[in-house]
Amino acid sequence: MADLIQILNNAASSLAAARGAAATASNNVQNANTPGYSRQVAVIEANLPADQVGDVYLGQGASLVQVTQARDRFLEAQLPAAFAQSAGSSAASSTLQAVSALDPQAQGGIGDALSGFYDALRQLSQNPSDPSLRQAAVGSAQTLALSFNSTASAVESARTGADAKITADVSQVNQLASTVASLNGQIRAARAGGGQPNDLLDARQSALDQLAQLTGGAPVTTNQGDASVFLAGGAPLVVGTTANALSAAADPANGGHVAVTLSVGGATSAVSPGGEIGGLLSARDGALKTAGAGLDQLAFDLAGQLNAVHQAGFGLPPANATGNALFSVGATAAGAATQIAVNPALTADPSLLATAAAANQSGSGANVLSMVATGTQPLSTGLDASGALAQVTSAFGSAAQGIAAAAEQDASLTGQLTTMRESTSGVSIDDELIAMQKAQTAYQAIAKVIQTSSDMLDTLLQLT
Amino acid sequence: MRVTDAMLYDLVSRNGQAAKSRLDQATAQESSGSRVVHPGDDPGAAGLIVTGQMNASTLDTIATTAGRAADELQTTDGALSAVADGVSRARQLAVQLSTSTYSASDRAAAASEVQGILASAVASLNAKVGNRYVLGGFQDGAPPFDAAGNYAGDQGVRQVEIAPGVYQAANVNAAVAVKGANGGVDILATLSALATALQSNDVSGVQATIDQLAQGTSQLATARGQAGAAMSTLDAAVTANQAARDTATKTVSGLADVDAIAAATNLAQAQYALQASLTATAQSFNLTLVNKL
Repeated sequence: MADLIQILNNAASSLAAARGAAATASNNVQNANTPGYSRQVAVIEANLPADQVGDVYLGQGASLVQVTQARDRFLEAQLPAAFAQSAGSSAASSTLQAVSALDPQAQGGIGDALSGFYDALRQLSQNPSDPSLRQAAVGSAQTLALSFNSTASAVESARTGADAKITADVSQVNQLASTVASLNGQIRAARAGGGQPNDLLDARQSALDQLAQLTGGAPVTTNQGDASVFLAGGAPLVVGTTANALSAAADPANGGHVAVTLSVGGATSAVSPGGEIGGLLSARDGALKTAGAGLDQLAFDLAGQLNAVHQAGFGLPPANATGNALFSVGATAAGAATQIAVNPALTADPSLLATAAAANQSGSGANVLSMVATGTQPLSTGLDASGALAQVTSAFGSAAQGIAAAAEQDASLTGQLTTMRESTSGVSIDDELIAMQKAQTAYQAIAKVIQTSSDMLDTLLQLT
Repeated sequence: MRVTDAMLYDLVSRNGQAAKSRLDQATAQESSGSRVVHPGDDPGAAGLIVTGQMNASTLDTIATTAGRAADELQTTDGALSAVADGVSRARQLAVQLSTSTYSASDRAAAASEVQGILASAVASLNAKVGNRYVLGGFQDGAPPFDAAGNYAGDQGVRQVEIAPGVYQAANVNAAVAVKGANGGVDILATLSALATALQSNDVSGVQATIDQLAQGTSQLATARGQAGAAMSTLDAAVTANQAARDTATKTVSGLADVDAIAAATNLAQAQYALQASLTATAQSFNLTLVNKL
């Protein structure tokens, strides 16, 4: 009789295990689309030790031992770097791709304006005293200056846009870092109580993934089970339950564009995050800065060369104006494309345009031809104006193309790793429905065992 | 490999996006006709497009400018031709009226005609194109010749670019061609002298102008020849630069424009790929135990 009661006890334990298996599968199905959720597995084991009856060991049913997560640590160790690389190249590529001011066939671009300016000078050289041609030449010079202004402004706007995104990202990073630090504490407390806090682990993993995407921060798991996060160069973003704060502040040494710093225990130091922030910094201070500097140098060189020729020439008699600059531009190349403008005196009075090589020669276009010749003379870069512009365009294009290819490749690698992680940790509705079916069948069978045991007990009791 | 539902959705999403992206790119190329919109589309071509477009524009402007210079020379040649006709008629009168056959009144009448020729020559030589006097040299803002035939212009020779960095003289030096600077004959002064001699019935004075008028005719012919040669050069420059511009434009087009057939094929392929992706997606979504249990 004792054996029959033991059967009932064992069946109760096994019934609970089957119910736990069903609950786990049910939870999996309900979280099938939850971001960061890792499939949970109900671990059912035979109850030990088996009951010895004479020389025979009778089993004691089964119990739900624990509910674990299906995770592949090898894959997960590779993912932060892949996420960071992909987010960085994608952010850099998007930033460069959004700049259309350097498009080679853009109407109103610098190429168009440069052509228009030299074309107007050529036409003026044939009839330098014609007021409409003089007006057209001055107008085309203004168009060229405005084209430099607007292109430089577009490039600078892209850099400023990257600043805004970096600032927003930094705010998000600080929030995520606090979340990770808080979850470290909660996970530590949960484990102290003897449990495996799967949902907290999932939430932390999700936050770590996002941190990796934003900063390239690599998580390091400590012996206590904490996940600390370190930026490039070992800068500690999260250590245990402490989150350090990133800041984005204007850097006067870089034209007022934001620099990222990390405050640790009251000490602030510059850091170079990777991930999306790193990609934005790379695009801002790489291809975009280079393109802006190239435009500045071109504007500065061109203005200097044309001014030198223009100042040596003479305007229409009787004023015979001489010594006037054609363009006003700063003393250095820095910011020249933004500052360049036509001398307002010439705008107001195109007769001051120095078309002649000597005074009192209204019909001479000798000085205009000298200005036209600057179009093919080498600038400080060793290239003429069109060559210098082509170089700026091609260099920017090469950077954009290279980073776009890298972004595609990185996205492919990340996709592959994510797929492999999903293969291990993701929820398959079909699998879980089968698991549910299996648990249900087991539950029904165990219920039958209880029924049968009960019948056997009844039979035995009727004998007594 | 274990396949989960999320993997299926991700795969469908990625492939669908890729197919839509390819369709978008193919549509953009087909509709715009351009394959290099952003410098990153083809960095090498982007740089060449910039220089190629500027080169084409330069050549086009040189052709336009050379054409205008040729038109001005045409006007100049017309003026010189009219003067030459007048000089020829004046020489005819000088030869005719230098004989004793004619009376003083005949010579006085001829003097009036020569005065008219002189006035007509001055009017012709003050020819304008637009607002410029084409025979004034660099002094093109005022009539270069006054009624008496005095020259107020200079010997400036205007240069016109006929190829990048190559220049051609584009005006006639009236000081030489008409006023006889550098050892030639002052044609207008000779006409004036002829008129005076005829008016005063000075036969020897009339005879003295005959050779000078012949030399003047030759001088004008030389100037017209130079103008003709310059016009020919300018016309050739127009043709050459237009041809070079067309070549440059074609080169840019080859770099920047899509191959229409390839673009249409790409578009069709992208459309089919997207359709196939969507069909596969719809079918795969039906294959789940949820629909069977």
